[in-house]
Amino acid sequence: MNNRLKVLRAERNWSQAELAAQLGVSRQTVNALETGRYDPSLPLAFKIARVFDQAIEAIFSED
Amino acid sequence: MKSARANFFLKVAGGLALLMLCTFIGGGVIGYLSASNPELDASSVGMWIIGAIAVVLMIGSLAVGVVWMRSIDEAAREAHKAAWYWGGSGGMAVGGVFAILATLPAAAQWDLPNLFSGRTDPAAYAATGAFGLMFLMIIGYAIVWAWWWLARR
Repeated sequence: MNNRLKVLRAERNWSQAELAAQLGVSRQTVNALETGRYDPSLPLAFKIARVFDQAIEAIFSED
Repeated sequence: MKSARANFFLKVAGGLALLMLCTFIGGGVIGYLSASNPELDASSVGMWIIGAIAVVLMIGSLAVGVVWMRSIDEAAREAHKAAWYWGGSGGMAVGGVFAILATLPAAAQWDLPNLFSGRTDPAAYAATGAFGLMFLMIIGYAIVWAWWWLARR
């Protein structure tokens, strides 16, 4: 699955640690999400969408 | 995240303190019983007490595992699940080879290590086998856990 996490985070000038704190996950998890090597669970995907104030499908897309 | 981690370490420290207290009380009970009744077999009383402490320790370990699993995020949990299944299974597969070979008559000639003060009784060898299997599973667990995170950097 592809995602726009890195772009959205950069637009807000957030560090990985800051995003991780908002999501309640570790910085390593944010890194794994951004590199597309870890797909989040549905609850975490909803949380990410809430943090960026966007729809899930606007952040995540199929390969 | 930080408060959850601090909470977890506090609970672990509390559990360890409780275990130390149980061990201290257990030692005191064995000492008192063996001093007040010379005919009493202190080693058998000790075995019951150590057995009870071992049960408390194992239940405590599971409880710590529950608290710990709840304190980590979902990716970390996935890493441990993969490590438990693939690493544990891999370690068990390696141990399984030795277990199968040990059933052969030729295995009677094996010079097995004496890990418990040179004891060569069946219980000591059973414990050696159990700890050996656990060791292999832990090695497998550590390898897969490290691989899981390295592959997602």
